Amino acid sequence: MTTAAETIAVRPRQTAAARTLGFISRAPVHFSLIAIAVIWLVPTIGLAVTSFRPRPDIASSGWWTSFSHWDFTLKNYDLVLNANKMAPSFLNSALIAIPSTLLPLFFGALAAFAFSWIRFPFRDTIFLSLVALMVVPVQAAFVPTLVEFQDIGEYLTGRKDLITGTYAGLWIAHTVFALPFCIFLLRNFFITLPRDLIEAARVDGASNWRIFFKIVLPLSVPALASFGIFQFLWVWNDLLMALVYIQEPDLWPMTIRISQLLSTYGVEFNLLSSGAFLLMIVPLLVFFALQRYFVQGLLAGSVK
Amino acid sequence: MSATAPGSIVAKPPRRRLASVVGREGFHALPFLLPALFLVTAFMVVPVIWTIALSFNTGAGLRFRRWVGFDNFERLLTRDHRFLNRDTFPWTGAVINNFRWVVLYTGLCLVLGLITAVLATRVRYEAVFKSIIFVPMAISATAVAVIWLLVYAPDPQIGVVNALIDGAGGSPVSWVGQANTVNYALILAYVWASTGFVMIVLSAALKGISQEVIEAARTDGATEWDIFRRVQLPLLSLPIAVVTVWLIINVIKVFDIVYIMTKGGPGGASRVIAYSFFVETFESGKGGYGAAVAVFMLILIIPVMILNIRRFRSEAVTG
Amino acid sequence: MIRRYGLRLAALTLAVSLAVVAAACGGGGGETKKGTGTVSVLSLWGGSEQEAFQKVLTAFTQETGIKTKYESARDFLPVIRSRIAAGNPPMVAIIPRPGIVTDLANEGSLISLEDLGLDPDKINANYSKAWTDLTTVDGTAYGVVAKANSKSVIWYRPDDPKVQPVKTWDELIALTDKLKSDPLKPWTIGAKDSWNLTDFFENIYARSAGPDKYKQLFGGDLSFDDQSVKDALKMMTDVLNNQTLVGGVDGALGTTFVDAIGQEFSTNPKAHLFAEGGFVGGITLSDVNPKRKPGKDMDFFEWPTIDEANGNPLVGGGDITAAFVNNEDVAKLIEYLSSPEAGKIWVSTGAIVSPNKGVAADAYPNPLVRKEADQVKNAEVFVFDGSDLLPGALGDDWGTLLQSVLKSPSKADKELTSFQTQAKDAFAG
Repeated sequence: MTTAAETIAVRPRQTAAARTLGFISRAPVHFSLIAIAVIWLVPTIGLAVTSFRPRPDIASSGWWTSFSHWDFTLKNYDLVLNANKMAPSFLNSALIAIPSTLLPLFFGALAAFAFSWIRFPFRDTIFLSLVALMVVPVQAAFVPTLVEFQDIGEYLTGRKDLITGTYAGLWIAHTVFALPFCIFLLRNFFITLPRDLIEAARVDGASNWRIFFKIVLPLSVPALASFGIFQFLWVWNDLLMALVYIQEPDLWPMTIRISQLLSTYGVEFNLLSSGAFLLMIVPLLVFFALQRYFVQGLLAGSVK
Repeated sequence: MSATAPGSIVAKPPRRRLASVVGREGFHALPFLLPALFLVTAFMVVPVIWTIALSFNTGAGLRFRRWVGFDNFERLLTRDHRFLNRDTFPWTGAVINNFRWVVLYTGLCLVLGLITAVLATRVRYEAVFKSIIFVPMAISATAVAVIWLLVYAPDPQIGVVNALIDGAGGSPVSWVGQANTVNYALILAYVWASTGFVMIVLSAALKGISQEVIEAARTDGATEWDIFRRVQLPLLSLPIAVVTVWLIINVIKVFDIVYIMTKGGPGGASRVIAYSFFVETFESGKGGYGAAVAVFMLILIIPVMILNIRRFRSEAVTG
Repeated sequence: MIRRYGLRLAALTLAVSLAVVAAACGGGGGETKKGTGTVSVLSLWGGSEQEAFQKVLTAFTQETGIKTKYESARDFLPVIRSRIAAGNPPMVAIIPRPGIVTDLANEGSLISLEDLGLDPDKINANYSKAWTDLTTVDGTAYGVVAKANSKSVIWYRPDDPKVQPVKTWDELIALTDKLKSDPLKPWTIGAKDSWNLTDFFENIYARSAGPDKYKQLFGGDLSFDDQSVKDALKMMTDVLNNQTLVGGVDGALGTTFVDAIGQEFSTNPKAHLFAEGGFVGGITLSDVNPKRKPGKDMDFFEWPTIDEANGNPLVGGGDITAAFVNNEDVAKLIEYLSSPEAGKIWVSTGAIVSPNKGVAADAYPNPLVRKEADQVKNAEVFVFDGSDLLPGALGDDWGTLLQSVLKSPSKADKELTSFQTQAKDAFAG
């Protein structure tokens, strides 16, 4: 290793020799990083490659051999999208995820505004109660909410399946279980907004609603986006809550549909791999397109 | 990739000044608060109380039937070998499996996340590397489960792990098909999915450490290890604590990956607490017994609730 | 401050929850309403079983003009449970285990035949008592058996010169011993799917201890550490052990049901004998090796007699059709499914065996299904697949126990004692 003095001396412009030397001295670092990256990539690549291979090939030779004899097909996707109803399920996933993102965002932003800019009794107590509720396991609410949905449906229209026979049950459940965290996150962002701005608006006689819609929301787009992306992916990727709240097979999202592909007669990797890959497309797109917000959302999500 | 350190999520609320700005506006707050508070009360708080009540009931058919006192809990903790078997040594059952998850998953994620975060800052392709490790975090546990079913496939013509073993002359192992390997196989798959998260959080925190401090240490002749051990690690202790809590909550609730990969099998060997809840409630229809499992989960989570409240009460004092 | 507010919050939420709970406790009675023109049916069938059933549903629509909507859920129980809890049950479901029928009937979720406006005696006249017992809970009839299967069969290859069908247990032991030195192993079993083991045990137990004890054992009236159970386990490991199984015990524990079919009926068999239900035939022909010819190079013989006094009870399984919604269309569908016409259409697909008395042997498309149908219809004594009768997840636990006994037979006594503790709780509810 070069001494500290030398390192500093050559820093402004390294010679080729010094650069090589530096690279070699760091070879173990490079080696481990590349090894880790390969280990991390191989499983996903395996899935992607498998999803394009003909069914007999999948069973008779490893996906890693397919690079030498080129034989790929879209048959698996055709099968899984049409015969196994993944196409309607893709739509279901979207119809579940979008309202389940917008509803908590809206109600959460409203409440967060009250918690940050309106003074009312027990404000901090209620806020702390919500903080405590952030980690409540959804299992503790499954059965009672199903019964509540049934009763509400019957009370409103006489139809017990008003909520549970549609997406509505899952929308409500996702909204409710996202709200404490959403309020927490947005409140912490709202209180950092410039006080003078809001004060001035109040002096001008602006109502709370006006301040909320015209000042707070527009200034909070980064926080709203971070939460929105986090929540959207959370819902898109969820299996458990959908299993309980989505009861009509026609309304199943992709995650349930994939769980149904695991048949009793052996594991059909042609269908599973293409199905799983379809499920991954949206999160991957979101990840690469909105990486910055996505990472922020997740970082903020570390308390949930 | 820019990111905020988790420590900075909470900015200090400007309370005093706020009080002078806003008057007594309790009434005005209602329309903002009511929708959210109603939803949370009606569909979270009430159901949780309801579930607690149900756990003292047989709850057959998921309805209130007959009060049974603490029977469900007694049976759960003393006689249900699928949940907690204390007749064998070491103990087995869903609780023990979950404990294994807590220790191994949390430990491995932290170690791997720390290593990758620290090493990645030393190379030019940092961004690419971090993306590769982080991508699995974005995908569904359902997809992660399918990916790893393929990796672990017992047939060396299908599964890459067994192909490697086969190539090295060993005999293939049914990783998720036998009781003594299944839990470790599941845990590793989930570690693969979560390490990126730990890496990102810690890496963001590392970025916050002043480069001058590190250079100064180098000038003083500190080795790279010394710098990590004496400069970086102490400053990482807060983010590590936050991430650890997150990992533990995540693992107490772990369900999807177990459901897809093994359905708790073989022979119940990979059951976890959340899976037990699902089976007792939605397969056996024993509402009360399932509710007892849910209450057990709730009790495990309570320390985290208290921790969260403590953390934020120091900033938002009672009003 | 916090404490006082917390109290008030608790009081409020308690009041709200009490109100909701009170509202939730209202029960639903029922009279048969007019139908909506469509009946929804939920079952776990997919693939060929679903196609066969769809043909029956189509015929129903043609005859009555009532449309049907078939929904398939592989993970049947969670779907039905959560739908009942949410007040959104399917109108009709095909239930894979009689134990569940009993549970659901006791919970009040099922509509009895009588409440549907049907005559239970007339419907039940199509079935023998063994089958109507499965659909009757405390004297009330709740549905009809949709399909039946025999699990008391042992598969072999007629063109295998070393195997002749046997009639008694001693002959089976002798045959197994003779085959031990053969390059092909005497037995294969898909012990990884533990129900293969439970089926094997049940056949031994029904024949050695007798149908009465069998019913007591799986009904919770006889302890699992009874000597008769220990004896039957001993008999099981006499036949299935390291010397007799493909790949030894470890190999068998890593073998799934479908793998085991492959070891018996693929083009390159590894074993002489395989004991699993009549449905092996259909799966072989559709998924494993379509080249096999029923009766020529794939066939089965009946499980051998163990104790003359107990005869040859048939261990079998069956799926039960039951109604969750009370309307005229639903009643018509249940009635139709119990008719011989529906049975004939159904069995003509080769996918199922019908327990319906009115379905003649010539309705079956191939000799294997016909033979199984004969066995089902002519059984003197019928006992239902015991692990499916066990409540809750106890059936799975029982399978796990058999797996560990297969692995270490000497631990059987200890395992049984511990299992009995579990069983007592499970039967108590």
